[in-house]
Amino acid sequence: MERWNADALHGANGWIGQEQKSRMLLKLAPSAFRMTLLFRKLFFPCLLASLFFSVRAEETSKPLNFVNDIAPILTKADCNTGGCHAKAITGQRGFRLSLLGFEPEDDYEHIVKEGRGRRVFPQAPDQSLLLLKAANIVPHGGGKKLDPQSEGYQTLVRWIGEGMPYSSENDATLTAIEVEPKKLAMKVNTTQALKVVARYSDGSTRDVTAMSLFEANDRSMAEADATGLVKTLGLPGNVAVMVRYSGKVSTFSISIPLGAPVDALPPSKNFIDDLVFANLKEIGVPPSPVIDDATFLRRVTLDIAGRLPTIAETEAFLASTDPKKRDLAINQLLTTPDYADYFANKWTALLKNKREDAADITANFAFHAWMRDSLLANLPYDALVRQILGATGTIVSNPPVAWYKRVKEPNLQQEDVAQLFLGVRMQCAQCHHHPFERWSQRDYHALTAFFTQVGRKPTAIAGEDLIFHKRGTALVENKKTMEKVMPAALGQTPPKILPDEDPRLLLADWMGESSNPFFAKALVNRYWKHFFKRGLVEPEDDIRDTNPATNPELLDALAKHFIESDFDLKAVIRVITQSQTYQLSAMPNEHNAVDRQNFSHFYPKRLQAEVLLDSIDMLTGAKTDFADLPAGTRAISLPDNSYNRAAPFLKVFGRPEGASVCECERVQSSSLAQSLHLMNSAEVKGKLAFAGGRADRLSKSEAPVAETIREIYLAAFNREPSGEELSIAEDHIVKERLDAAGKPIAPAVAKKLAYEDLLWAILSTKEFLYNH
Amino acid sequence: MQIGLTGMATLSWPALLKIRAENALKPNSEKKAIIMVWLPGGQSHVDTYDPKPEIGSEYRGPFKTISTNVPGMQLTELLPMNAKIADKFTILRSMNQKAGGHPAGSMQMLSGDSDERDKPKPRLPDWMSVAHYLRGQGEKRQNPLPNYIGVNPPLEYNGPAYLGDAYAPFAVSDDPNRPNFQVPNIGLSDPAEMKRLSDRLALRRSLDKLERAFDKEGELGALDEFESQAMTLLTNPQTRDAFDLGKEDAATRDRYGRNRWGQQLLLARRLVESGVEIVTSSLSGPLCGRVGNWDDHAVNQHQFEALRFRMPNYDRAVSALIEDIYARGLDKRVLVVVTGEFGRTPKISFERSTGAGDASAAAGVLQPGRDHWPRAFSNIWAGGGLQTGGIIGASDKRGEDVIERPCGPGDFLATIYHHLGIDSSKITIDDFNGRPTPIVDHGKPIPELIV
Repeated sequence: MERWNADALHGANGWIGQEQKSRMLLKLAPSAFRMTLLFRKLFFPCLLASLFFSVRAEETSKPLNFVNDIAPILTKADCNTGGCHAKAITGQRGFRLSLLGFEPEDDYEHIVKEGRGRRVFPQAPDQSLLLLKAANIVPHGGGKKLDPQSEGYQTLVRWIGEGMPYSSENDATLTAIEVEPKKLAMKVNTTQALKVVARYSDGSTRDVTAMSLFEANDRSMAEADATGLVKTLGLPGNVAVMVRYSGKVSTFSISIPLGAPVDALPPSKNFIDDLVFANLKEIGVPPSPVIDDATFLRRVTLDIAGRLPTIAETEAFLASTDPKKRDLAINQLLTTPDYADYFANKWTALLKNKREDAADITANFAFHAWMRDSLLANLPYDALVRQILGATGTIVSNPPVAWYKRVKEPNLQQEDVAQLFLGVRMQCAQCHHHPFERWSQRDYHALTAFFTQVGRKPTAIAGEDLIFHKRGTALVENKKTMEKVMPAALGQTPPKILPDEDPRLLLADWMGESSNPFFAKALVNRYWKHFFKRGLVEPEDDIRDTNPATNPELLDALAKHFIESDFDLKAVIRVITQSQTYQLSAMPNEHNAVDRQNFSHFYPKRLQAEVLLDSIDMLTGAKTDFADLPAGTRAISLPDNSYNRAAPFLKVFGRPEGASVCECERVQSSSLAQSLHLMNSAEVKGKLAFAGGRADRLSKSEAPVAETIREIYLAAFNREPSGEELSIAEDHIVKERLDAAGKPIAPAVAKKLAYEDLLWAILSTKEFLYNH
Repeated sequence: MQIGLTGMATLSWPALLKIRAENALKPNSEKKAIIMVWLPGGQSHVDTYDPKPEIGSEYRGPFKTISTNVPGMQLTELLPMNAKIADKFTILRSMNQKAGGHPAGSMQMLSGDSDERDKPKPRLPDWMSVAHYLRGQGEKRQNPLPNYIGVNPPLEYNGPAYLGDAYAPFAVSDDPNRPNFQVPNIGLSDPAEMKRLSDRLALRRSLDKLERAFDKEGELGALDEFESQAMTLLTNPQTRDAFDLGKEDAATRDRYGRNRWGQQLLLARRLVESGVEIVTSSLSGPLCGRVGNWDDHAVNQHQFEALRFRMPNYDRAVSALIEDIYARGLDKRVLVVVTGEFGRTPKISFERSTGAGDASAAAGVLQPGRDHWPRAFSNIWAGGGLQTGGIIGASDKRGEDVIERPCGPGDFLATIYHHLGIDSSKITIDDFNGRPTPIVDHGKPIPELIV
């Protein structure tokens, strides 16, 4: 099928319209279908066919069973979503189904045996409450979910009439689903019909397109309707449509080319460029040019050190003629404490280093300092994670123990570890099979079991336990099935663990194996997003087969590079920032403005709360005071979330509270409160007017006005002002200012106000607020 | 279908709303509003709206019952002004929830979190930020005022959780009864300051040359949008007017009570009249007595002295708000709900005071108090187009347990959402883990309290 499509795409006639192609596909389908039917007819001779009406002839040949035939109808009609009848504990209006049909036995029970038998009525199937409600004949809170003419409705009628069989041991079970086509290049704004085939244990297959669910992983690029018709939208790149049927998943991958000529590519610096540029060529999206030195220095300093370059750094960098100066600047930044501060700030929030009680201060400072020192010393990532996972002792003697103070329950420890270090969101699998994944409840419990032997002893400090390995057999009991589940890593067989072995260390060993399919990928994807705003997989911690990377080869290559560097975090940063891809301009060209995932140009990022506050302090010459910390402490070095209260700026601009293991807790989008804060808060006004600050100093300066403006531009944007900017700013500074009564303000006062206004205007520009 | 794609695009790259929300929001044109009066700490139901005159002295407080203008509805003598307008509200006497602590109790009532344990931060967004968020998904609001304003808002045990701070209330924390009451960030009063701001903005625009680098459809479009909204808020005289209680006549201000609570509720009414759709107001602070809230444990304050101390202001302010909503024809559009996180223990306890103050005897003196009681308590509902003047549900003879029409936090929330045109049975919002989370886990609108 794939081969055929590829030929059609590049055939002699050039591009074949997708509409046309889908028709061709459909033409092929019936013959395959007939084959299946023939097979079924032989297998299930003459069954009850005469009893039923209006069901397509081919369907009457096979008895229906709940698991294979009925549950998928309920799922397709959205009956068993969390907002409807699968609402936890209660269901909806007394009728409860399991989420997405993962517990068919329970569902069967609820449909057939509950509700005083009114839900199904075999004597007159279409008088069953189940159908009357679903078709909204009897008023239904959820509205009409099934049309009486629909195949699903008719199948339900038939099943009820047949006496509502559940399923027997002889029934074939679903083994897999396959979607056709699997992969396709599609132009923007075209459509493609998908076909979903279910495979059963008896070797039979069946077209289940009508009962499958379809969902694109990026809805700005493609949408899929309920019939499996996929439509591409206006954006180029790679997108996947997840297909689900009865607990099985499959994926249809689409590559959407733009088709513009890609003539001038910058010379590749490393494998990142090779793979990014290859993709750009393939989809026909020409990259923007490489940025100039000034823009590079600002971008990379913000991204590695979480601050603006100083004027001295800028001047030295711009003056240098060393052809390797960009690489050298990267190396230099990676040795600074600023790098460690900035990344410790990132990691400690994700590891929930939050202040819930005044007494937490020691633990939080210790944990933050440990993380910062580890990053500065470039402790290999696998070792860093191992120190957290396997932590024992007290916080003061071994600070990573603090993580066990924050995250107390084994299942929560497991969930955080999976999401943060493996990029796998296991939460769903606690209560049911993960709907988008291969993970079951057993996998969930098996991963949790690694943490069941974490022992705790209270210490002299309230709320702080001594953590140790509690001798014994690690296992988790599934509360529902009573099954005892032994520790096993994702997709692995349970290792042999002796009672005096700490299972956590075995988990850490597995993570650090070069063959581990999750660990390195999760980190490089997370770091990629740090620099490029968008992960290769989005969200960055939700890596799964049904949510593929936009450039899978690149994700693999980055992971391989990371593993081969022995998990060297600085090496990841180095290879990313040295690439030409990272150094592409944010200015789109005539073609690539629509690109949001192929990295053909740099996507501007708003400075995060801490960096923005520090940058405003630097520009205005003011200082923010943080309780108990030395004067001059910068926001990126704050050890925990407790300072968000004292500095409202941080809260308004979205500094996280350490409540979630997800980076999404950090708000990077704009809000009304942010705009008001910049315009009118006492905090920002105070910084602008700060005695001895930059406005104050420049207004008193003897230097020519143009010199002062140049200083402001170098500090804020680390570049020289253009002629036009210079003249606008100069006019602003020297113009006469009048008070409310219309009288001229004294020149000295007026000049200070003028500089304050200029600084405000500068710090409110997108050029300042964003890293670009 | 009100959630058009254009609506999604204006605000929503934390695009949390599932398409499933289709049809679950009513058209924006008839947007209803709500004022929730919050009684932090919990009002003693048996001493106010659910009196138990027949019960023994271990339970009964000193307050007599009085008749109201609704035959058969009795309140305690602490509510004479409420009694005169009892036809304009309905008492729900069968509210109950499962958490005995202030944090968990507040989270049960405001966000529907069924967790009975206290925790410092809410796991789920409160109904106010959810409603604010959902309203933001519809057609663009023309009104320059923020759509969710807290006049001394409840903030301690609630918040927008995973919706993010953009959905927190615009908070008014100053006392509106103060002669020089100020609302930060609303309508600059000084024309010079106003001119300076527009000059700054003009200068910013002439210097901002990076426009082309940004994706106008997404983030940057929103940044510009918020900047101009902020500018309107700061410079448009209308926005200033909405907060200017000087524009109310003296008689009205007196009717609400010339104190913080009265003027808070007057401001709340003024805001909904100006088109704000979600307003909360906590009746807390020194007007409550020594500890500044309704938490009348004997160690904190003398339960009955405290009620004598605070109820006249409460009675005046709440009855004025309800009366005013009707007098101004807002009673169809605006729902008024008054509640705390729980009631107080029907059985009186005696403990030694831990300190003297308003409504509390000197330290060491034995005084009566009531403790936390989530098993049965009352809240009151007015306006919203409801048939009022009724009583829903009942607690037992001591006020300890619900014996008729039990209603839980889910019902409370579903009723509020229903009034706002939000079908809570259909809407889920993704949490930090991307898990679709229903805005009401279980519960349905209370039939007598919906239209």
